[in-house]
Amino acid sequence: MTLAHRHLSRRNLFGLGIAAASLTALTACGGGAQANNQTEAPAGDPVKGGTLTYLDAQPHTSLYPPSAGFYPNGGLVNNITDRLVHQNAETLEFEPWIATEWTVNDDATEFTFTLRDDVTFSDGTKLDAAAVAKNFDLYGLGDAARGLTVSEAINNYKSSTVVNPTTVTFHFSAPAPGFLQATSTINSGLLSPKTLDGKLEDFGAGKGPTIIGTGPFVVASEKIGSEVVLKARTDYAWAPKSAPNQSRAHLDQITYVVTPEAGVRVGGLTSGQAHIARQIAATDEKQVTAAGAKLLAPQTRGVNNGFSLRFRNEVLADKNVRQALSLGTNRQEVVDTLFTENYPLATSVIGKTALGYQDNSSKLVHDPGKGAQLLEDAGWKLGSDGYRTKDGKRLTFTVNEAAPQPRSFDVTTLVSQQWKAALGVELKILRADAGTYTKAINDANQVQVYHSMVGRADLDVIKSQYAGKNRNTLLNRDPADDSIGDTKLEELLTKVASTPDHDARIKASQDVQAYLLDEFYVIPLFEEPQVFGLGPKVHGFEAESVGRPTFHNTWVAE
Amino acid sequence: MTPRALATRLGQSLLVIVLAFTGAFLMLQALPGDAVLIKFENPELGLTPAQIAEIREAYGADTPIWTSFWHTLSGFVVGDFGYSIQNGTAVRDLLAEVLPSTALLGVLGFAAAVVLACVVAFTAMGVRNPWLRNTLASLPSVLVSVPVFWLAMVLIQVFSFRLGLVRVIGGGPVESLVLPVLTLAVPISAPLAQILVRSIEDVQRQPFIAVVRAKGASRWWVLTRNIVRNALVPTLTIAGVLLGELVAGAIVTETVFGRAGLGRLTEQAVANQDVAVLQAVVVLTAVIFVVVNLAVDLVAPLVDPRLKKEVRAAA
Repeated sequence: MTLAHRHLSRRNLFGLGIAAASLTALTACGGGAQANNQTEAPAGDPVKGGTLTYLDAQPHTSLYPPSAGFYPNGGLVNNITDRLVHQNAETLEFEPWIATEWTVNDDATEFTFTLRDDVTFSDGTKLDAAAVAKNFDLYGLGDAARGLTVSEAINNYKSSTVVNPTTVTFHFSAPAPGFLQATSTINSGLLSPKTLDGKLEDFGAGKGPTIIGTGPFVVASEKIGSEVVLKARTDYAWAPKSAPNQSRAHLDQITYVVTPEAGVRVGGLTSGQAHIARQIAATDEKQVTAAGAKLLAPQTRGVNNGFSLRFRNEVLADKNVRQALSLGTNRQEVVDTLFTENYPLATSVIGKTALGYQDNSSKLVHDPGKGAQLLEDAGWKLGSDGYRTKDGKRLTFTVNEAAPQPRSFDVTTLVSQQWKAALGVELKILRADAGTYTKAINDANQVQVYHSMVGRADLDVIKSQYAGKNRNTLLNRDPADDSIGDTKLEELLTKVASTPDHDARIKASQDVQAYLLDEFYVIPLFEEPQVFGLGPKVHGFEAESVGRPTFHNTWVAE
Repeated sequence: MTPRALATRLGQSLLVIVLAFTGAFLMLQALPGDAVLIKFENPELGLTPAQIAEIREAYGADTPIWTSFWHTLSGFVVGDFGYSIQNGTAVRDLLAEVLPSTALLGVLGFAAAVVLACVVAFTAMGVRNPWLRNTLASLPSVLVSVPVFWLAMVLIQVFSFRLGLVRVIGGGPVESLVLPVLTLAVPISAPLAQILVRSIEDVQRQPFIAVVRAKGASRWWVLTRNIVRNALVPTLTIAGVLLGELVAGAIVTETVFGRAGLGRLTEQAVANQDVAVLQAVVVLTAVIFVVVNLAVDLVAPLVDPRLKKEVRAAA
């Protein structure tokens, strides 16, 4: 990885980007971390034209950008829309894209963007400030009547003002320092005003050809549930300045094929029937490389794959019990037995390549003997069946099988064995129909240990995961009565999302990381990548900052 | 069948469909949670409780069960099946998109199954070598226990990935049907062949066969002219029942091959508790089931005139 090898011709006015870049450069050099978001330097000139076949495990469900967090949705939205600002996938620095420059007021409650005036939507209409304002009014406020949700990435949004056709200002009710990064995410993909008038149904499967963006590709056709065809826009000429390709996409067409069976994805790739496959399982990596295909495993730069211990549950309210569970978890064994080197052991709550990362390895100790002693002292006595009990009640917890996460069932099973052998704790695994599952994971008395992760290349990501108003994975906000259990945690998280000063935000994120581990609220397991398999003919394929495929610079050499 | 008998039969069919609709509706309502909950209370969307409440109201997720029953029923009567909550597409559009593909797969799969069953059964019956005959006759019992999923994976691995004879990804319309049709046909052909073999054996033991033989008819003549016609009725009846098998087979086949179709749609809808889609799929399956069985009942007397008489006698 060459850091910051593509320098900006036009520095943005906001210091945030530069500070972010230098920080990442420091952590990257110090920790030897690899973000690894693109294939090696392409050999030879790009080949023009051709079709690329891309295999995904699931069909997309919606092209409404705020719902692009679901990977199959994001993989499409990323290629049919542009964003105001480009976040360099390697440096995490912000670069001009649809916005040529931007200013932010001191308390980060007003953001003004100057727009390019040569950008058109794929239906020929011009992109102007009014169109951009309409995008963020919807993404920032949502419209429940149309089933359209607020974007998770945008906080405290109030309103927009169109200053002139190329200038737009956004106003916030409280500091929103994460907004600049939010405008660069796929959740903020820019769509035409006409498309934005639709209901959630109008963004659904089968409606792709009616979704109008400014991106390098458009949806040409769809077979619901099995195939989406993207065609290149021949007049595309507004790629981010640092992009190696400044004109239209090299490819003529991309065919997204839904291939639910992992074996078919791997076989399709290795037999040359497809060019790229997403979600290569750790167990299949060898088969892919042995057949001459390459692996690309970009990190998702957010909260690591791990367990949230729901401390408002009666038993987990005891800090000693939580500490015991942390001490009794052999994280190294999880990584060594179930995964490959593409899944590094977690050393903090967030990944090494995430903004604001701080090495907390010293807080993540494996000491099952001490863990067992803590439980013993807390009054949990070991019975003849190998499990601990107190007042006739067994020390038992339930963890969810997180279907989107790699090998979640194997991970939870292995930890369940570790906890039984080392601590005498029973860990049951919840596998259920979708309705039962959704109810159970929102109840700290049904699922006490919550398995999840979240990727987003902004400091806000930690708040997204743990804040009561967002993903609330710790259930610090009790969904039953909206009460907050640990107000200090909420305060620390709010600081991350609403401190205008960048360095102070980094400090706030580090405080949260330390606090979550000091309180044993979280057991981070590993840094979760997106693993793509690339056929030998594929060149120039990139992943954006959280691992969504970007095809603008990709070509196939036959 | 007399017009009156036919009318009764049609009335029964309609009743079955209405019962299937009601049963499916009640069961889907009784499931824990609902599709709105699953989609929007998913922590990954990070919505606040107030936002979720607004959406629940907009979707009418908490309307009383009878209101929503009449609403759904009146929609179905005029062909409006509502919207999929998972991807926001009209269920009618989803069905229109997948039906041709599944119908084609089903018809070809079934035809292939019939051919396969006949080949196995007739060869088994026509062969004199007792060892070979036994082997062929017991083949269906083996095939009936082959898991569709495993069969599909083996076919793909061998014929597509190893030998490269057909592509499973990006193949033409015919190419992409070969392996799925085979996958679907094998498990369905097995019970068909079993019944056919059994029926042929039964008919062979009947006295009239001995008479035909005694008159000097060849083995092949007896098999094709006398035995098959008589053995066909039980086979036809089981064929109607095997339709259910066909739908189940389509779910696995379409998932493994990544084909769009009714099976895939059902699998996705079950996974996401997409009630509107499931309701439509259940009713649609009931309709197909009823129609096919009705057709079998109408065709059977043409194959076996004795059935015609019985109907008359009863009427």
